[in-house]
Amino acid sequence: MVGLCLVAGCGWNPPPEFELNLEGRPRKSVSAEQREAIAKMLQRLFGTPDRPQVPDGVGLDRSLVEMAAGPPGGDAQGNQRGLYRRHCVTCHGVTGDGAGPSAALLDPYPRDFRRGVFKYTSTKAGIKPLASDLRGTLTRGVAGTAMPSFAQLAPRELDALVEYVKYLSIRGQAEQYLFEQVVDDEARLPLDLGQVLDEGVLPAARSWEAPERNPELVIAPGPRPPVDTPEALAASIARGRDLYASKDAQCVRCHGPQGDGNGEEKELYDDWNKPKKGVTPEQTAELERLYKLPIQRLRPRDFRQGNFRGGVGPEGRHLYYRIYAGIKGTPMPGVGPSPGAPGVMTSEDIWHVVDFVRSLSRK
Amino acid sequence: MSRTLHRRDLLRQSAALAGGMALGFGVPRVAVASAASWGDLVGRFVYAGTPPERKKLKVDKDVECCGKFDIRDESLMVASDGGLANLFVYVRTRKVDVCPELAESAPKRVTLDNRDCIFMPHCMTIWFGKQEFYIVNSDPIAQNVAFSPLGDTPANIVLAAVKDTKDAKADTNISATWKFNRAQIIPVPIACNYHPWESAFVLPRDNPYATVTAADGTFRLAKLPVGKLEFQVWHERVGYLDTPEWPKGRFEMEIKPGVNDLGTVKIAPARLEKN
Repeated sequence: MVGLCLVAGCGWNPPPEFELNLEGRPRKSVSAEQREAIAKMLQRLFGTPDRPQVPDGVGLDRSLVEMAAGPPGGDAQGNQRGLYRRHCVTCHGVTGDGAGPSAALLDPYPRDFRRGVFKYTSTKAGIKPLASDLRGTLTRGVAGTAMPSFAQLAPRELDALVEYVKYLSIRGQAEQYLFEQVVDDEARLPLDLGQVLDEGVLPAARSWEAPERNPELVIAPGPRPPVDTPEALAASIARGRDLYASKDAQCVRCHGPQGDGNGEEKELYDDWNKPKKGVTPEQTAELERLYKLPIQRLRPRDFRQGNFRGGVGPEGRHLYYRIYAGIKGTPMPGVGPSPGAPGVMTSEDIWHVVDFVRSLSRK
Repeated sequence: MSRTLHRRDLLRQSAALAGGMALGFGVPRVAVASAASWGDLVGRFVYAGTPPERKKLKVDKDVECCGKFDIRDESLMVASDGGLANLFVYVRTRKVDVCPELAESAPKRVTLDNRDCIFMPHCMTIWFGKQEFYIVNSDPIAQNVAFSPLGDTPANIVLAAVKDTKDAKADTNISATWKFNRAQIIPVPIACNYHPWESAFVLPRDNPYATVTAADGTFRLAKLPVGKLEFQVWHERVGYLDTPEWPKGRFEMEIKPGVNDLGTVKIAPARLEKN
């Protein structure tokens, strides 16, 4: 150590590394050989935090990814570098695991990008967000959470961060695949690069491209029922109230009859926290130890506060998206039709519910 | 290598013969040809202990509808004679040859019914390239069906309540047809966010060689390609069913034409206890 100080200077820090996703796994359940095989394959495909790579066939803009990656700084032309480490890493972590140094202090926790699931999107249920959705979250911030607005960044800087979030997400999904194959299925090592690309990387990349290419996967709200007179608005709110309480929509179950987030269902967890939940408190304590962050319960939104995490949007358009497709990665299901799901509300119904929900915060 | 080629030749041959059958001749010859290349695996799993009592589950949602059913834990189903149900038995070997007859005979859909406030069946397998996953509600209350297969599209589906009327047309939005895009190495848990006691498991595979033991503990994997195959056994209580003979619930077998009988496999109760 002393020798290292002499050679490199005491301010020397090793370059940051991506961390393996051992969440939920007892450490000894993954052998050193398996760990090395996964880490090596990931590095071969995606590079390192300082020198990221975009695997062949993955439609990410390499120059944008590079702009976000690496240590913070800029070049002589004033182009920013290292944007992710400058703006995001304290909460979201080098690996995008949502477990940066300050994460444990936050409620809700910062998003873990590695599952490839994002809550606030304009796409149908089960579909990845559009780049513009991630950009919207960056510019708006997430109301009622520690996520601030980055609206002051230059457009290209925002594009770079969006691209890097997608990069970390595709990398995280490829890593899930590798753990499935190498650890759970004990694939013979060394791994075949072509197979990993075909089965673990490209399907993840394609799922990100799908909504950008296929407008069918993006929510297209129908015409808004007119609410230009107080009477029309009152009628829409009344209709929305009925739909909100209807047997098929089930909104009251979590959000409560008053819309105060106090429904009968209390044991709610998102997909990031659900695996930490055991049947007994002892089991939960046991499981929590396998994760970086302790379990966090989900609180259904209290509409009276008017604090909507995914934003309200012009005429309540973002609320429409939330009701249509649900909130991804949470128990909140969508009531609009999506691939494989019939939906239980029409576009007009959804608008009425939007009007009702917004009316609660105006009081 | 030569075995694979040989098997492929036979496959092509039987496919050609099947084509002939469709034209109306040569039926017995097809049977002979496929009998030579394919074999069934049958067996029975038995719980070597007193059948456990199934705990009554807490039903505290939609009580006016669900409260009238005797809803019990389904995580360990043992018949009175010991038959162990709901074990997943499937071929672990990758890229197996598939008997062409199975593509014809496999039911077009696998159905998950929301009935009497539980999922029916509790365990199912699906050949996802050929079969569709049909999810339907038969209850007068809305149902939710949520599952997140690894590397595949997550589902969080709402199905409308069945209306209290004789008019079947009134029942809209009570069913969904889901598409899986990749095979899973273990079954995917299915939950209902409205009724936390509901649970089911589905295993999507890229071949038809996956099944679930019946109420009496028996199973049959029909028309497997002859030759050495590795099988996987999985149970929801413990995951891979680890036994002294079958570490991680895996065993190899040389499948011969005709019926290959695994016999009765006794499972010690401790093997189904979580550690």
